Amino acid sequence: MNLGLKLDGVGFAYDGTPVLQDINVSIPAGQFVSLLGASGSGKTTLLRLAAGLDPVASGRLSWNGVMVVGPSLERGVVFQDYALFPWLSVVDNIEIAIAKAKPTVRKADRQAEARKYLRELGLEAAIGRYPGELSGGMRQRAAIARALALGSPLLLMDEPFGALDPVNRARLQDLLLEVWELATPRKTIVFVTHDVDEAIYLGDRLLVLGSSPGRVIADLQVPLARPRERRRLLDSHTLQALREQVAAALVEDTLQRLKAA
Amino acid sequence: MSDYIALVDLQVPATPAPAGSAEPGLAPGWPRRALESVSVWIVLLFVWWAASVHLPLGDNPLLPSPVITAAALWESLPELWAGTLSSLTILIPGFALATLLGIVSGLVVGTSARLQRILLPFAKVAGPVPPTVYIPYAIAILPTFKLSAIFVVFIGAFWPIFQNSVAGAHALEQRYRDNARILGLTRFEYQRHVVLPAALPHIFTGMAVGLAFSFILLTVAELFGANAGLGRFVQYYADFADYPKMVAGILYTGLVTFLAMTLLDRVRRRSLFWLK
Repeated sequence: MNLGLKLDGVGFAYDGTPVLQDINVSIPAGQFVSLLGASGSGKTTLLRLAAGLDPVASGRLSWNGVMVVGPSLERGVVFQDYALFPWLSVVDNIEIAIAKAKPTVRKADRQAEARKYLRELGLEAAIGRYPGELSGGMRQRAAIARALALGSPLLLMDEPFGALDPVNRARLQDLLLEVWELATPRKTIVFVTHDVDEAIYLGDRLLVLGSSPGRVIADLQVPLARPRERRRLLDSHTLQALREQVAAALVEDTLQRLKAA
Repeated sequence: MSDYIALVDLQVPATPAPAGSAEPGLAPGWPRRALESVSVWIVLLFVWWAASVHLPLGDNPLLPSPVITAAALWESLPELWAGTLSSLTILIPGFALATLLGIVSGLVVGTSARLQRILLPFAKVAGPVPPTVYIPYAIAILPTFKLSAIFVVFIGAFWPIFQNSVAGAHALEQRYRDNARILGLTRFEYQRHVVLPAALPHIFTGMAVGLAFSFILLTVAELFGANAGLGRFVQYYADFADYPKMVAGILYTGLVTFLAMTLLDRVRRRSLFWLK
């Protein structure tokens, strides 16, 4: 049984300025958590700490009971700017992930597996192409395919759909939910976003960060059954109520900061 | 000249060719641009011819006419070809070694803050030293002329390649570094699959500078002590005041340099196809 992601009094400072302060959160395995907050509230920093890309300055951060001290294949990341290697074809970008996740698998089998992931994400046509030749939506699909290929039980996603147009965005949200809901056991996902509706549509739970320094100002459950239907969700009272709660928390945070200043 | 202008008018279509009608790889309007660059050569050739014919230069002019030079070039082709081969046995080992060591050491240094702290001050002093000053010393120290010439070419090509490799590795974007860390690449995999390809644009810049330096140093070194080679050919016929052959040698060396640079540029384009 996976013990999930645990943050105990986690803090982080950049050049002496506190970015995150006293974050206490426990995310059980298999939960889809949407991480909301204004720009500069430390959402990306929190994700980098969980990924092990930066070390925590204070407190304890553990995944499945083990302290996070550096990156690991246990914790996959989908970056905001895709971060595919532009000098590798799409399929080779995926294959390099498989090669690291399963070092004993032979090259031909790795290629076959990479193709499988790309087909799953509707990227058959892009297999031999290079990231520079693809649209933003296709690149992000490839980035997700690579994260899936790593086989990490924890996925950290940093505004992965932030740069996409609304149609592509909705499509990829549905695709992500579909892939996530079908897998057993389900992956644990921490999904950073600016978009409240996206956070509610995708998440089991909303974590809202306040700014300067970043700390949790709201922790809300999303009581909506899955699979979710986009159209019905849009005019549900639950959605309205959650929106208002998130907005209220952010307004309250802003007012407090103005008072302090 | 009116004939010439009429010719230009014939070659340039009055309206732009419809899209897709041009051959693949050629942008519309290419005949005009091709003609523009050819016209420079025609003008230069004409000026050369006019100067050699009309200036009072004496019986053995320092500026032989294009026709005489062409004849000298034709006559010297076997000798120039042998000289090319001789020069290449210096140029290729020197440049190849500089490329290999320059890239490897440049990438290693460029990805280590500590090595940069330790080595870059030294490189800043050693890099700008004109490599020609090493020539007499290299000839004195190394057992054969060929080895010393290779060494000098190596030194000249090494620094620009090294410095550009350091810069390329140093400029590696954070997201690719993060990505490599997430994937858990080993140090070698990181250098081979991430740092090297990301630094290639810089590296090719360094190689182009290094190759140009290599030709300069090659010909200078050959003036010192070679018994064959392109620089030696020019020096030899200059000593005998055989100016047609000397000028032919200069033109031929220019052509070889141009071909080498073009070849490198081809390799660069092929390797960097993924750049947007």
